[in-house]
Amino acid sequence: MAHVVLKDLVKTYGGFKAVNDVSLTVNDGEFVALVGPSGCGKTTTLNLVAGLIPITSGDIVIGDRVVNDLDPKDRDIAMVFQNYALYPQKSVYKNLAFPLQMRKLPRDEIDKKVKEAARVLDMTHLLERKPRELSGGQQQRVALGRALVRDPAVFLMDEPLSNLDAKLRVQMRSEIKRFHQDLKATIVYVTHDQLEAVTMADKMAVMNGGLLQQYDSPAQVFAHPVNMFVASFIGSPAMSLIPLEASTANGNTVLTGAEGWSLELSPRNAQKVAGATTRKVVLGARHSTIKLHKSAVAGSVPARAYTVEPTGDVTFVQALLSGAIVNVSVPPNIAIAPDEQIWLEFDQERMHLFDGETEMAFQAN
Amino acid sequence: MSTIAGTAPRGQTRRRIRVDGWRWAGRIFLVFMLLYTALPMIWMLITSIKSGFAAMQFPPQWWPDEPTLASYQKLLDPQNSVGQDFLRFFWNSLFVSTVTTILSVIVAVPAAYAFSRFRFPGRNFLFFAVLLRNMFPAVIFLVPLFILMRMLGLVNTHGSLILTYLTFGLPLAIWLLKGFYDNIPVQLEQAARIDGATRFQAFILIVMPLSTPGIIATAIYSFIGAWNEYIYAYTFLSKNEQLTLPVGIQRFFSENTTDFPGLMAASFMMSVPVVVLFLVLQRYFVRALTEGAVKH
Repeated sequence: MAHVVLKDLVKTYGGFKAVNDVSLTVNDGEFVALVGPSGCGKTTTLNLVAGLIPITSGDIVIGDRVVNDLDPKDRDIAMVFQNYALYPQKSVYKNLAFPLQMRKLPRDEIDKKVKEAARVLDMTHLLERKPRELSGGQQQRVALGRALVRDPAVFLMDEPLSNLDAKLRVQMRSEIKRFHQDLKATIVYVTHDQLEAVTMADKMAVMNGGLLQQYDSPAQVFAHPVNMFVASFIGSPAMSLIPLEASTANGNTVLTGAEGWSLELSPRNAQKVAGATTRKVVLGARHSTIKLHKSAVAGSVPARAYTVEPTGDVTFVQALLSGAIVNVSVPPNIAIAPDEQIWLEFDQERMHLFDGETEMAFQAN
Repeated sequence: MSTIAGTAPRGQTRRRIRVDGWRWAGRIFLVFMLLYTALPMIWMLITSIKSGFAAMQFPPQWWPDEPTLASYQKLLDPQNSVGQDFLRFFWNSLFVSTVTTILSVIVAVPAAYAFSRFRFPGRNFLFFAVLLRNMFPAVIFLVPLFILMRMLGLVNTHGSLILTYLTFGLPLAIWLLKGFYDNIPVQLEQAARIDGATRFQAFILIVMPLSTPGIIATAIYSFIGAWNEYIYAYTFLSKNEQLTLPVGIQRFFSENTTDFPGLMAASFMMSVPVVVLFLVLQRYFVRALTEGAVKH
């Protein structure tokens, strides 16, 4: 196993920067998820690491070698593809044996390793089948097997679960996680599904528009998103972002909504906003940090219920506030009607404040 | 379902009759087409085993009274002059067609792969240019190519035919094969390259086996095109010992007008390699022509 370092990585197509100055370090044995919407550059980044496309500038280090100009076969990596990319004309056994044959291992050693991998992944009975005779989950497992049979320094995975149905995806998610724990493998995992990233990864790299937005543990990214993009991308349902106006009177900082109501900030939050160069402040709040009241209480602001979505466990209420939709979760026994007048109380300790101009989070000094 | 069947039994029967009417019309049409295409070949075969006298009789003998393989023996006998000619023409045709086929596959496979996989300047223009040749009737290029061949000193050589047949066969071969390569996911090669193969090995070990049907179809297409070609062979070659079968048989026809059984036997033997090739490999051919029609 080995660590992976990306240093100022750039990939341009014509004038378009698909990957723009990305730097990050994946430590030995770490599971890192590259996550972002489609077209954000995450798959391009993975292909650069794999060596499938040439880099424009920057450095890629795997283990202790700079691999910029090495062929994919010389980088000591294994990759699992979204469509599995199993060799259709070869049996499962030969699919698993192929990477070993390419490395000219003796036949009996190949046989031993293939059977061992098949045993680990519980597919000994499938060895003689062709890929088309397997279910989606089995194909996925063979793809995983072909990656691990060679004991590579780094595993690269490109949306390996997105072709599976919802139930199987959850099951394979835990299998891959288990696989990582057992092998202490270094894994770089690309996904557009933030839930996969949050549940599986040790660290997640959130990308957008070719730029690395934030690189940290899922818990940190969830609790302290650095900007509005990360805040709205991570978490489900998405964090509500409410555009407001900040002003200071009598030493108190208040945020004013479009409807004219105002919300006084706690001293800690007021201090964050104090350094702002703009009066436009965006308040971010996750559904679980907002309390819904049926009548006005101190510190609450008036809003209007828009839609109500019971999910069984919890009911999600979308409310209109200052021109934004605010997600609130309430216990299922509380009945709210659409268009009903409600009051929302934000948890000052857990709210996020963003600069309305730069979209960056205000940091506590 | 049950209500429909219960309330409208008459409509259903009537509809079934109408469908069957069309189906029968179709079957009759197909039988007619089958007779139309098969009868000449059957007549060719029957005539080839008649004696010269029986072939000229009227009304014709539907089945020869005395079937004989004499014509075949004559054609395949290297001792007499007819047999010598025929065997030489046959060998010439086989040589020209085989070399054309091999060269065509050797050029078309990498060309089609490049068109399918790589983005390079002028890619679309070149691909269109490749097809452009096939938009004109072959005969248009007869005189220019003849002049060209004379300048190259290739008139009266088999090389002139091979070159010409390549310009006919290659465009469609490349086009057919590109469809094949387009349908092979690029991730397979990427996986192979990560698994330890070079780009070339990935092509040879993974992509080539998957495109075998396309390569076979391409080969059949090139072979048949070269085997059957008449007008260029007639123009470029004048020496008797170099002629290919189509031209040779035509000569045979004008020199031995009355020997219908001999002519038919020669025609039959000329069609044997093509028919055998096609029957053995037709499933690949059909697959190649329909590949890319639907997305998998």
